[in-house]
Amino acid sequence: MLLSLGVGGLLAWALAHQSAFRGRSILVALFSSSLVLPTLIVVFGIIGIFGRHGYLNQLSLFLFDDSFGSYLYGLGGILLAHVYLNASFASRALLHAFESIPKEKYKLAKSLNFTVFQRFIYVEYPAIKSTLLHIGATIFLLCFTSFAVVLLLGGSPSYNTLEVAIYEAVKLDFDIALALKLALIQLGISAILVVLSSRFKINVSNLKTSHTQIPWKEYRSIQWIQWAIIMIFALFFISPLAVIIIDGLGADFMRIMAEPLFIKSLFTSLSLALVSSLLTVGIALVLSNTLRELSLKTRLGNKPFASIVQGIVAFSGNLYLAIPSLVLGLGFFLIAQSYESPMWIWSTIAILTANILMSLPFALAILSPAMQHTAQRYDKVVFSLGLTPWQRWVYVEYPYIKSALGYILALAFCFSLGDLGIIALFGSDTFTTLPWYLYQLMGSYRTSDASGVALILLVIVLFVFVSVPLLFRSKHA
Amino acid sequence: MLKITNIMYQYAQKKPFYHYTMEVKPQEIVAILGESGSGKSTLLDIIAGFITPSEGTIVLDDKEIVSLRVEQRPMTILFQKHNLFEHLSVQKNILLGVSKVLKDSIEEVEKVQAILKEVGLEAYEHTIASELSGGQQQRVALARVLIRREPILLLDEPFAGLDKKTRLEMLDLVAKISKEHHLHTIMVTHEKEDCERIAHHVYMMENNRLELT
Repeated sequence: MLLSLGVGGLLAWALAHQSAFRGRSILVALFSSSLVLPTLIVVFGIIGIFGRHGYLNQLSLFLFDDSFGSYLYGLGGILLAHVYLNASFASRALLHAFESIPKEKYKLAKSLNFTVFQRFIYVEYPAIKSTLLHIGATIFLLCFTSFAVVLLLGGSPSYNTLEVAIYEAVKLDFDIALALKLALIQLGISAILVVLSSRFKINVSNLKTSHTQIPWKEYRSIQWIQWAIIMIFALFFISPLAVIIIDGLGADFMRIMAEPLFIKSLFTSLSLALVSSLLTVGIALVLSNTLRELSLKTRLGNKPFASIVQGIVAFSGNLYLAIPSLVLGLGFFLIAQSYESPMWIWSTIAILTANILMSLPFALAILSPAMQHTAQRYDKVVFSLGLTPWQRWVYVEYPYIKSALGYILALAFCFSLGDLGIIALFGSDTFTTLPWYLYQLMGSYRTSDASGVALILLVIVLFVFVSVPLLFRSKHA
Repeated sequence: MLKITNIMYQYAQKKPFYHYTMEVKPQEIVAILGESGSGKSTLLDIIAGFITPSEGTIVLDDKEIVSLRVEQRPMTILFQKHNLFEHLSVQKNILLGVSKVLKDSIEEVEKVQAILKEVGLEAYEHTIASELSGGQQQRVALARVLIRREPILLLDEPFAGLDKKTRLEMLDLVAKISKEHHLHTIMVTHEKEDCERIAHHVYMMENNRLELT
């Protein structure tokens, strides 16, 4: 978490002060996409760069006739992958905080002859502090419940997280009793963490960044530092994706796409992603509306019970943080063992539930403020005109929250499509998703096919993440 | 004397050039009126050094200042908002005008106390800036002007958001400070009443050009 915040903070600071270079918005959009990049793809790309046969070792062999050997698996690899995933996510939120600093503050700092350090201490740090705290809490919880990265890069049981230990107890050791004990420990710690970070709020936004263009230039030495930070991180971020594209293009797509298991996993993944994203949007709408009803003075907000119920509803939206997906999966796994139904039914229910719960905190963080804002703005006029709920939705609500809905739909779809969590417990030859299929290819050293599948997954995720919000563009949002 | 001569500025190609020429004597307050977006605040940004003009000179007592960096310019600027570091105390906010070290000297602290008395905020020395009213915050910003002792005071509609009574009080305070400390004050405003109350000369920004009314 500390590494991710440090790297993400430096990157956001550099980007905030270098706000006018060509390609900046593409770079920022790419960093935003880290949120939806399937962990498995990221790990695959990182192995392609830093693995034993990765490009870095190949370059070292070419230049110095010696390689760095195998150094990725273990704590180093786990940290590297988490920094990759979380630093870019942190940088995006922190950049927004940096760009929200009024221009006058920078002018004031300049006219008072502040050094870069003083400017950070007196102007920038106070402005980003709360975001830093929120993002820190988010990243801590994400790392604490990390599964796929640790499963793939852990190297040995000494670096296992509780989630991986649960998985191993169920799938490798068939020790359900141990899995249950671990799940209870995990549940307890997660609950404590969620309570401790009760002011937890995910800073995620589909808002475009605004350029706080400061009319004067930074000192040359500072500019160099900022450029170096941007270049190093851009290289670090883009290179694994580039590896997936380069290696993937060499795959035999005709053969991959003709494989029945690939077709089955693609169909399952797309269906699950579609259903879970639609359900996420529906549930987020209901929860956001309920939260709004309970918080606004013009509605039920003045009732004594409102704040208690509001807390319960808000918590239900953030359930995923308290109940990690592997623990949830274990619950479904045990139910499936007890009742005689086809396994695929339980698998589908388990995956849909986990995917919805995973997307809901993000969906609520985006939708709830948008709906709150619409109500604050239009409640009085809507109530005075006596509009029906349907009229309200068509004329007032939908135009303003349309873009948020599109973003949530894309986000939930991508989360679901790329998830390698609960499927690890339920995955089999008869029930498989694209990430699980990719994981199996990687495990059986079918690297070329794995590259092809990784590229397909990457293309689908990026396509959905970019195109779906465009379909829901709104001039009012 | 502050002399601004034939200053020209263009925000982007194909955008019009703004032309500015004016003079401000010590103890004098010059007001600039004009519509939003007419280029009034641009002049303050040029004098402060935030942006560089394509032509013209700005001379203070025979010394050209256009070539100086922002931090070297002999001025203090006040905006409508965001003049203070809201998380810091009144004392620290004022001291940051002259000293950036963590531990401030006793002399500096005493100076702040004297200045706070001058602006009527002696009871608020250790109050956090965000807890002050809008008028009090602007008084703190003016107190910082006094501690900095820079001869040029630039006011970019600093009292626009205040109620009338407070605004008039603040204007009187500016007039007093400007006179007592021999400041060259330029005030951008929308209010004719402000001009009538304290300005010695009023300029109008019309058709991208500054004209004496």
